[in-house]
Amino acid sequence: MSVVRSIPRLWRVIAGVVLVLVVLVGGYLIFAMNSRAAPQQPIDFNHQIMVSVGMECLYCHNTATRSPAAGIPSMEKCMGCHNVIATDRPPVQELAGYWERQEPIPWVRVYRVPRFVFFNHSVHVNAAGLNCERCHGDVGNMVEVYPVVDMNMGWCLNCHNQQSNASQLRDCAVCHR
Amino acid sequence: MAREFTRRDFLKLGAMGAATAVMAGCQSPRPWVTLEPYVRPPEQQLAGVATWFASTCRQCPAGCGIVVRIMNGRALKIEGNPDHPLNQGKLCGRGQAGLQVLYNPDRLTGPVQQAQRGSRQYEPLAWEAGINTLYERLQAAGGRVAVWTNSTVSGHLLDLFQRFAAAVGGPAPLVYDLYTGFNGYRSLADASQELFGRATLPAYRLAHADVIFSFGADFLGSGLSAVRYGQEFGGFRSQPLGKRGYLVQLEPRMSISAAVADHWVPVRPGTEGLVAAALVQIIAEEGLAAPDRIALAESLISGLDIGSVAEASDVAAEELEHLAHAFASASEAVALPGAALTGTDASAEALAAVQALNLIAGSAGGETGLSLSPLSPSEAILGPEPASFSEAQSLIEQMRAGDVQVLLVHGANPAYDLPKRAGFLDAMANVPFVVSFAPVVDETAAWADLILPDRTYLEGWGYALVSPGFDRPVVSGQQPVVTPVFDSRSTADILLTVARGIPAAAQALPWPHEVAFLQETIGQLGPGAAGGSGTEVLWSRFQQTGGWWPAEPSEPEVPSLPSARAIQVSSPNFRGRQEEYPYHLYLYPSGLLSDGRGASQPWLQGSPDPMTTVSWQTWVELHPELAEELGLHDGDIVRVISPEGEVEAPVCTYPAIRPDTVAIPLGQGHTDYGRYARDRGQNPMQLVGTQADATGSNLAWSALRVKIQPTGEKVDLALFENKVGVTEGFLNAEFPH
Repeated sequence: MSVVRSIPRLWRVIAGVVLVLVVLVGGYLIFAMNSRAAPQQPIDFNHQIMVSVGMECLYCHNTATRSPAAGIPSMEKCMGCHNVIATDRPPVQELAGYWERQEPIPWVRVYRVPRFVFFNHSVHVNAAGLNCERCHGDVGNMVEVYPVVDMNMGWCLNCHNQQSNASQLRDCAVCHR
Repeated sequence: MAREFTRRDFLKLGAMGAATAVMAGCQSPRPWVTLEPYVRPPEQQLAGVATWFASTCRQCPAGCGIVVRIMNGRALKIEGNPDHPLNQGKLCGRGQAGLQVLYNPDRLTGPVQQAQRGSRQYEPLAWEAGINTLYERLQAAGGRVAVWTNSTVSGHLLDLFQRFAAAVGGPAPLVYDLYTGFNGYRSLADASQELFGRATLPAYRLAHADVIFSFGADFLGSGLSAVRYGQEFGGFRSQPLGKRGYLVQLEPRMSISAAVADHWVPVRPGTEGLVAAALVQIIAEEGLAAPDRIALAESLISGLDIGSVAEASDVAAEELEHLAHAFASASEAVALPGAALTGTDASAEALAAVQALNLIAGSAGGETGLSLSPLSPSEAILGPEPASFSEAQSLIEQMRAGDVQVLLVHGANPAYDLPKRAGFLDAMANVPFVVSFAPVVDETAAWADLILPDRTYLEGWGYALVSPGFDRPVVSGQQPVVTPVFDSRSTADILLTVARGIPAAAQALPWPHEVAFLQETIGQLGPGAAGGSGTEVLWSRFQQTGGWWPAEPSEPEVPSLPSARAIQVSSPNFRGRQEEYPYHLYLYPSGLLSDGRGASQPWLQGSPDPMTTVSWQTWVELHPELAEELGLHDGDIVRVISPEGEVEAPVCTYPAIRPDTVAIPLGQGHTDYGRYARDRGQNPMQLVGTQADATGSNLAWSALRVKIQPTGEKVDLALFENKVGVTEGFLNAEFPH
């Protein structure tokens, strides 16, 4: 007699239903983990509004042309405008709260490459002449920013392979230094 | 009842297993990373781009130039400053570990006081309250204020302390720590004064030497300015046409300098000076040098019985003869005096004998060999002049007598550095108010009433006059490379603030803050290698290049010999009768922990000692023959007893030491000084009494005898390739020992 058969039928049905639920929920979580859903940010920051009023990406992420990192604007920079602009909006009031406490906002990073990859924004913006949307998608139409691509090696190489100096750009040491 | 396991069961269980794995995998959601922006960005800071600042290393008094890599406001890496004339881009392990001085987790986060000294119950207080308390105490004390500082104090702070002491009529600040005491800075300076008429540290140029005789000088390890000597040694070993020089190291225990030597002579401890004198005499007697130098040698040293020197030093007469010929036949020969020479009652004569070798070799004042440290480029620039041991003793005596109302301790740690018998802590009980400026509570700060933590050297301003100085005077600049990590304040600023309220001092210290004082000081230097004129330009060049120095090396100063007098070298008196205390004690500063100030830095604690590979411990080095005679093995804890005290530590057998000598490194045995230093190893200074040498310059720490008692206990030594716990059974079976 099998072990399972010794359990009453009702319990077996309940166990089966639970099992199916577990598989479904688990599967969803796996999907969600790898999906391109927007991460929860500490403040409801809206890129769409910023772009719609005519701001350039480089106004805030102004080190993208000068540094490996595009940079997150300092809070001093945010408050430069939001001292007077939209001060009645709840997210701006939250920002002002951080500013008063002189605390940095713990923004959640949307894009990340592994630590063994040396990525340099300024090269891609200056030498390659790429615009931000090429990799980051139409941020100007995103209320919450979400990752539009998985920044994995295949994705990088897809583009590197199409360049005129592809043989150089395919070299391992270009990114894995 | 037989259980069947059907295919159906297998699938069900398999599904359950998969579901469990899925759930387990879901426990950790996607690892999102937070990015914190600056609240207010520092000027010129570019995210993702490193900034380098030039400053000065303060892990030892040498004054090497450093450049520090700053990323997003945090110091990440320290390297040598390639433009700096002293270290020319090189840096030692201690210098690299400086980041852990800055980011030490045991640093005080603000000022504290303790109601009862030594209770270690620290109560935080506001800076204003701390400074006001200091002010009230100083005002009430008048001239009865003493300052005890150390050899890595910035020149500007020492200057301010001196001005303050002079203004209120107190004694001059005392510069005394174990590093300069142990290495005999004062004895070396006194020897220069006596022989050459100027009290300064000698420096030795080795890069073009043919032969170096090192009398116990661990110039590549724990000695003075080891980075520069490493550079000099590099030149010595790679001379034109493949010439690589010949190094003879005379010392009872093989240091890292002896390990790279061509010839190691294990002399009996304390007889290094005798051997040097014997070499001078042999050169004179056998006419091995030019006639004028032979005359000089004869006037300096005569009447030694070479046979008895050979017996005393355990170096055969033929060997002495051979060494004298090797030294005399070289066209460029240099002799280096080591720290151990300065720690006996006969130190002055022993040092003079080594310098006499340099004089008759003609290697004084040339491109190679002995030179005197250059003079300070300006009267405004101060170098710390380490006090003699007797001066430290006399301050302790004043404290004991109740002549000191307020004691200010900056950088120094006399409660750890001095043997207990020196009575520092007992005397401190008679001082009504003690203030420490230590960033991490050390043994002295633990007995202070008030601790006003200073900034560490990577956060603070200052300068260091490079000493010993080589080819030119160098004022090495120190500037903050990061914003202060904790709520610490510069001691110089505190002193300037307090002085404003004390009428006697207000006029002597009129500067609003330390930077104003530094700018004024540096502005007096005139254009150096970096050029420029005017205070503001000179000040900014000083920060950019890491200091001030002339573009060209100065002409080497020929040490003159004011009066040749006969040098009477004798064997030092060892404390402890030989019958009762059969072994010589050979203490040496750890090349990593230095005199103990490195013990708070885990990188230095964890770096293996270059000779024994032990880390994180104090050990007692015994020759394997001696260990066998006493029935001791690695890790057996022994009690080392001198006439003055005792310590317990594990044995580490070491074949490169004389069998009649026991060696112990300095550096451990802290009771405070943070989590990495506390309750670890032993402080062998407890074996040393309070006897000074004949002139009172230095503690007579190297002329001691000890005995050894096994305790029956055993610990594991943290050694490379230690078989403990890994292959013990296998190795013991295969290779019995």
